Amino acid sequence: MTTQIRMDSRNSPLGQDAPTAVAVGRPLPFTDARHLAAHQWVVDEAYLLDAQDYDAWLDLLTDDVHYYMPVRVTTALGAGYDTAPQMAHFDEDRYSLSRRVARFATEHAWTEDPPSRVRHHVSNVRTFATDHPEEILVQSAVLLFRSRGDVHEAGLVSAGREDLLRLVDGGWRLARRHIAVDESVIRMQNLAIFL
Amino acid sequence: MTDQSAVLADVRRGMVPAHIYNDAEIFALEKERLFGRTWMFVAHESEVPHVGDYVVRRVLEDSFIIARDQNGQVRAMFNMCLHRGMQVCRAEMGNASHFRCPYHGWSYRNDGRIVGLPFHREAYGGEAGFQRKGQTLLPAPALDTYNGLIFVSLDPDVPPLREFLGDFAFYLDYYTRQSHSGIELRGPQRWRIKANWKIGAENFAGDMYHTPQTHTSVVEIGLFREPKAEKRKDGNTYWAGRGGGTTYKLPPGTLEERLRYVGYPDEMIQKMLGSWTTDQLEVVGDNGFMVSAASVFPNLSFVHNWPRVADSDDVLPFISIRQWQPVSADETEVLSWFAVDKEAPEEFKRLSYKAYLMCFGSTGMFEQDDVENWVSLTSTAAGSMARRLRLNSRMGMLADDSPVVAPLGREEFAGPGVAHVGYGEYNQRHLLREWADHLERPQSAAETQDVGAQQGGVAATTQNGSATAQQRTEVQ
Repeated sequence: MTTQIRMDSRNSPLGQDAPTAVAVGRPLPFTDARHLAAHQWVVDEAYLLDAQDYDAWLDLLTDDVHYYMPVRVTTALGAGYDTAPQMAHFDEDRYSLSRRVARFATEHAWTEDPPSRVRHHVSNVRTFATDHPEEILVQSAVLLFRSRGDVHEAGLVSAGREDLLRLVDGGWRLARRHIAVDESVIRMQNLAIFL
Repeated sequence: MTDQSAVLADVRRGMVPAHIYNDAEIFALEKERLFGRTWMFVAHESEVPHVGDYVVRRVLEDSFIIARDQNGQVRAMFNMCLHRGMQVCRAEMGNASHFRCPYHGWSYRNDGRIVGLPFHREAYGGEAGFQRKGQTLLPAPALDTYNGLIFVSLDPDVPPLREFLGDFAFYLDYYTRQSHSGIELRGPQRWRIKANWKIGAENFAGDMYHTPQTHTSVVEIGLFREPKAEKRKDGNTYWAGRGGGTTYKLPPGTLEERLRYVGYPDEMIQKMLGSWTTDQLEVVGDNGFMVSAASVFPNLSFVHNWPRVADSDDVLPFISIRQWQPVSADETEVLSWFAVDKEAPEEFKRLSYKAYLMCFGSTGMFEQDDVENWVSLTSTAAGSMARRLRLNSRMGMLADDSPVVAPLGREEFAGPGVAHVGYGEYNQRHLLREWADHLERPQSAAETQDVGAQQGGVAATTQNGSATAQQRTEVQ
């Protein structure tokens, strides 16, 4: 048995036009050039997110990106779903992500001024081929540590990610990200961060 | 327990002792006298549309299964097995005809009736030892609905919900009755914030003063065209019955033009014309006010805004319902739902959902900055210095308690209650006065009952009241 329930952009009203590629076959060997490229990509990205260098991060996204983090719910084993129907924390296209990034660049995004100290710990990276030679699927685990001020304990968000990377002009770009957050109730004051 | 009468007196004159936003004793009093007595929102009927659908929701620590039983009736049952007290339902949503306790296998129908009691005869001697017939999971002491919004109360003697809401029901319809079919709810997003629950409730009830400052960034990025200072002060804040809220002043135009201005398609406007009363339409069409944020006492809030959701000048309205669920004096679980009219076109629902996500909820660009403020306020209120400050919550009122700006007359505002244009903290005062009224009244101890006891057959007494509450939920 498995408790794994596949996430699908089609479950979102905003994901109907998202790229549809799925993993084909076994994980690529860790020595495979595509895996090495994918691993480097997610690590490089983590450094951008830690530095809140969101303009550079936006450049890594394709124009048709679907950035999707559904709300997880506690359901009985065998219910067939573990996300809230048609509700997400993030359900983004390039426009909405660009507005979020633009907001951080104003001088009035109080929730990140002073900025949080954030660290994206990325691990468990696996890469899969897809039916398209220019698209690969990358799974990873991310543990986000976020500390603000000096009064409250730092917050943690643990999640599994499944990314679709596409080769565009010689570089890999994020075309789809599914984030399976591991809590049904987020223990953080907001998600003014990216995973 | 410390006598809080001085605190309540200060609150009533609009001078708010800062420590009420982080005080364990105050919170204990709130649990007993406020949350132990008032109506608490738990779900909307659209969350359990089919027979057997259920969601599990809390009223503070008390877990309730909100289920649609086999007869289609919505029930709220205390999620505790009658035998050893396990939660009989440990999922938060699903569809089930029965709930079975994992501990000893007692099982219950989705109307709460006990149906499975393993070895009833061998273990208890059957009905002679344990009266299974008529036993149900403990029902919520009171349950009532308005426009499909399901509320429960821990006090069986609470007045009917409609009476409790009073004239605020007039304003609730703008959020929850845009057509005869009403809303459907999606979500909730849930997250915990280290902030006292009252701050969100007060903010949504009437804090139009914070918008130009806290939410500067969302105007700067072109998401929202309204919250500029000059726009907000033209709106009014109203209080009616057990709730109040803020409004925006719309540009001149007809009713239809004004509804189009906030982004409603003609198809939905036609349904509003058929669903709202003449007075409700007059508030928008003639008076030019459009509801924005609002709160129902004590901890349920609403928001209606109309941001841009794409790179164009078009705006899209959305509605969110949220509950500030207290965890402790300094922690709140936020439950934030997206609400949309059931009859709205699919494309509208899609974009309205996008508008919601961009603005409110766990990732919302408005909400992010709100919560940052509330968390900071709460931690600052914990110390001894905060006990020396009574925060001035008298905005809109002169020293002799007369208003800075006279309330709107009937010609200017067709809605019930009292409304003032411009900045003021009228609604925060209304909310906290209601709070003070609850906190000063002791709550009598709740009735208790034995499980499975034969009438008069067990030493401890079962009061008459509990038998009545039980009968109320027996299958009709």
